[in-house]
Amino acid sequence: MEIHGEYTFNGPRPVVWSVLRDVNILATAIPGETTLKPISDTEYEGSIKLKIGPVSGVFAGKLTVADEVVPESCTLIIEGKGGAGFAKGTGYIKLTEQPENKTLMQYTGELGIGGKLASVGQRMIDSVAKSMIKGGLEKLEKEVAQRL
Amino acid sequence: MEKKYLGQRVKRNEDPRILTGRGKYMADITYHNMLHAAFLRSDYPHAKLNSVDVSAALEIPGVIAVYTAADLGDYWHPGPVLVPAPHSIPGITANSRTQIPIVKDMIHHQGEVIAMVVAENRYIAEDALASIMVDSDPLDAVENVEAALLPGSPLVHEELGTNIATYVRQERGNFAECKTKADFVIHQKFIMDRGSAGAMENRGFCANWDEDAQQLTIHCNTQSPSGLRNSMAAWFGIPEQRVRVVVPLVGGGFGPKVMTNQPEEVLCTFASIKLQRPVKWLEDRAENFIGTTAERVQVHDCEIAFNKDGKVLGVRDSFLYDTGAFNPYTATIPLNTQTHTTGMYDIPVFLTEFTSVFTNKMICSPVRGAGRTYGVFVMERMLDMVARKLKMDPTKVRELNLVPADAKFPLETGIIAQDFAQFVLDSGNYPAVLKKAKEMIGYDDFKQNQQPKFRAEGRKVGIGVVLFTENTGVGPYEGTKITVGNSGKVFASSIYGTQGQGHFTVFAQIVADQIGCKVEDVIIETGDTDKFAWGTGTFASRGATVLGNAYHHTATMVRAKILATASRLFNVPESELELGDGMVKVADMPEKFIKLGDLATKANPMRGTIKPGTEPGLEATGFYAPPYGATAYGAAAAIMEIDPLSFNIKFHKFIFVDDCGTVINPMILDGQLHGGIQMGVGNAYFEKLVYDENAQLLNGSLMDYLIPRATDMPTKIEIGHLNTPSPLNPLGIKGVGESGTIPIPPLYCQAIEDAFDLPELLITDVPLSPSIVYSLVEAAKVK
Amino acid sequence: MSDLIDIKVTVNGTLYERSVEPRMLLSDFIRFELGLGGTHVGCEHGVCGTCTILFDGKPQRSCITFAVQADGHTIETVESLGTPDKMSVLQQAFQEKHGAQCGFCTPGILMTMTAFLKDNPHPTEEEIREGIDGNLCRCTGYQNIIEAVKLAADNMASKS
Repeated sequence: MEIHGEYTFNGPRPVVWSVLRDVNILATAIPGETTLKPISDTEYEGSIKLKIGPVSGVFAGKLTVADEVVPESCTLIIEGKGGAGFAKGTGYIKLTEQPENKTLMQYTGELGIGGKLASVGQRMIDSVAKSMIKGGLEKLEKEVAQRL
Repeated sequence: MEKKYLGQRVKRNEDPRILTGRGKYMADITYHNMLHAAFLRSDYPHAKLNSVDVSAALEIPGVIAVYTAADLGDYWHPGPVLVPAPHSIPGITANSRTQIPIVKDMIHHQGEVIAMVVAENRYIAEDALASIMVDSDPLDAVENVEAALLPGSPLVHEELGTNIATYVRQERGNFAECKTKADFVIHQKFIMDRGSAGAMENRGFCANWDEDAQQLTIHCNTQSPSGLRNSMAAWFGIPEQRVRVVVPLVGGGFGPKVMTNQPEEVLCTFASIKLQRPVKWLEDRAENFIGTTAERVQVHDCEIAFNKDGKVLGVRDSFLYDTGAFNPYTATIPLNTQTHTTGMYDIPVFLTEFTSVFTNKMICSPVRGAGRTYGVFVMERMLDMVARKLKMDPTKVRELNLVPADAKFPLETGIIAQDFAQFVLDSGNYPAVLKKAKEMIGYDDFKQNQQPKFRAEGRKVGIGVVLFTENTGVGPYEGTKITVGNSGKVFASSIYGTQGQGHFTVFAQIVADQIGCKVEDVIIETGDTDKFAWGTGTFASRGATVLGNAYHHTATMVRAKILATASRLFNVPESELELGDGMVKVADMPEKFIKLGDLATKANPMRGTIKPGTEPGLEATGFYAPPYGATAYGAAAAIMEIDPLSFNIKFHKFIFVDDCGTVINPMILDGQLHGGIQMGVGNAYFEKLVYDENAQLLNGSLMDYLIPRATDMPTKIEIGHLNTPSPLNPLGIKGVGESGTIPIPPLYCQAIEDAFDLPELLITDVPLSPSIVYSLVEAAKVK
Repeated sequence: MSDLIDIKVTVNGTLYERSVEPRMLLSDFIRFELGLGGTHVGCEHGVCGTCTILFDGKPQRSCITFAVQADGHTIETVESLGTPDKMSVLQQAFQEKHGAQCGFCTPGILMTMTAFLKDNPHPTEEEIREGIDGNLCRCTGYQNIIEAVKLAADNMASKS
């Protein structure tokens, strides 16, 4: 499935960038129980417990940050696999400074899903993905506000 | 001799048990020390398996064992070819790749078994599945049959260097030449996508190895008990006579349950032998979608050469067939397509060739219709295109091209069939079935009077009439044993699997007619290899024809024994005996009679002497083998209205005409047609297994895979019958099990096109849906 | 493994006291714990209707109900309708009209229709068709099932 959208943060770009690249914040931004451990500056390993409709499970995964252009853009590559299926996604994130100390974040990406998740959860994946993204962005927004 | 029961609407012997919930299915099979299996199945359609870590699973209380490929040792090997390639056809290519019981290093399709958990109950077994760690590297997968043939496509079986499984070309006459002689040639591509058999009961298997007796007992809802017995015996090196397969009631077969050597069967048997306890597995619906065989895509590239008077000179059909990741059934389905294309039409030239292609999906095997449906689809659609080109009525085009009623049957077709013999039309009155269908649907009245009114009102109401043939009753043979018991009940057994087709009744009717007893006193027994093991299985609509004639033949032998024994007993010639109502009477001597049960007792003396050469009891074993399959045929017609807002379909009228030769029980026959039609409706309008380009199944549940409901069906199916007895067997029977399914997809296409009456609307791909029809109509409007 | 929960369920007129895991499905409880095999399971997703039983008189999918939810309630299964020697009016009508083939979906349909006929003693064929819309059948094409229910309704009406 394709994912794209945009969101305006109430904060200057360097702050938004620092929040985005803080792995502990990222972990809390993803709903469900998530643990992410850095194995290098750009690679993180961990697990996420997800529920999509009737299908739930723990996914072991890896997050890689690539093509970083600080503090403008980066590509996130996610791979996860668990009993309920697997997911592989690539997302490109771009931050643009806006007037009044705001930052526009634009994101586009593709997420490939397989296994039971895909077979049984099709009709819910779209809406679950949207609500996860929405929830995640709200958490990031709160963190940005705290750092101001 | 009067046939009291043949042709009668007899209520089912099996109903009281089934209707009160007393019937035993696989889920009811239980042993006191039974274990339960669950299977870890691959999520990836194509991947290299690196390692499987089952250590966490083994720690869970209640888990008895966890097996992977390494545990199987020498028992790990690909299964046998179930149906070989048709080597009687020259110039074929056949690459054989058969199912493996459990993944060793390469995953070939989503759903392939990676590990097996055996536990005290299924809940614990599934808990254990979640804790098994699988390390695999996903590879690019191939989903689409056309893409699979392009250079650079991922290969399902790397070592083959190609995704081509089988190539078969058959031709009668010379199409290239006939093309040049025709007034017109139309070229068109058609796609038929199909789906799951969708029996309400999923698969199941229970293996019980008795170490002391060195005996393996299997319970399975298989359509092929003898085939299963022989395959498990062979796989595990056990003599066939020490393997018993018992089949409980089966909640629907439709094809996939005829497969043998399936992974779960091999693995449960292996586990039982190792653990020396019964091991049972019940498939759940989610597994069924990825772990049970289905039937899938055919992509046809066709040409039809015809003259301006409507006469078709020749047809070319080049098609691709998606066999999935393996092809144990080799060419059965596409061969059925080849033999059912020109069908009942007198088309002198026919070139048919198919390429069966490997893809990273669950394998294909016959499902109700089993390939015939595709041949009928393209032929009926092409005839409709001829009609459109010549501005001729579609039924007129058909009429012009039918094999005439006075044709010199049997008619050879020059095309080899699924039983590797030439396909021969044994008998039929095809013009009569078209005429009857038109009468029943009120074709002329609708076209001349009703449709113009509907069109004036702007309503989209259309009519469709399509024809089909169904080859049935193929060999090799079936066998039966009939015993008149001391109770007077007649025990008639075979190994022929039953899944709801009324076998306990229709065969009782045939037997009762010969034995002279009441139909409810015939106890049909089946599905136990210890009771009778000679036979092949329930497939290809062959029960009524092959088993019916086997029962008839054996019953005549028992009848002969009854008369001979009674003749000796009463000391009168056989010609003076009357057999009926469960007893033998001497004509004109009311005091001289004996009930069949008592005669059976008398025929088995415990003391004294009998004449050498006499067989004790009233029992016989007999077989029947048909020379080749008998071809049933018929027509389907419907008047449908498409709702302008929802594009849902409402049926004004729906009829079906069938000629299956001699009818045993018209009530059972109609039931078979109704059920077949439901599957046909699904094939036409609702059912499609959807995969993404990575061969991931996207609709693997009944929520998203739409099996027709009561409100999706026509509100009244009217059935008409013709009866052209088959000359191939003594009872004149032809099969009917798949007939209902076969003609429905082209029927929908023709009627919908007629409803909208847009010159550019041509429906070439099925299944349809309201949104697909809407898009096609909108596109046609702007062309 | 979690603690067991004590439940009291009345099934077909008999009160059963059992201790079950909270996650045990009602369908498994009926079939394996109580040995009443007439209720079949077709999908475990609540879609096919094969597992339908009557829960306090109303049709319900036992495959998506937990056994603990039945604590204190009344369940009726197909075994309560009749026996092979004495079938209910509805079951007899099914035999008359050939409303069952493989029989797997049949108990679910019989339970649904038993409740349906109580609320709709004089249904039209269209109402019956809608009434069984929640039950999938792969063998019969539904037509004979509808005729059977209509016959049963007529027979029950003429008896009263």
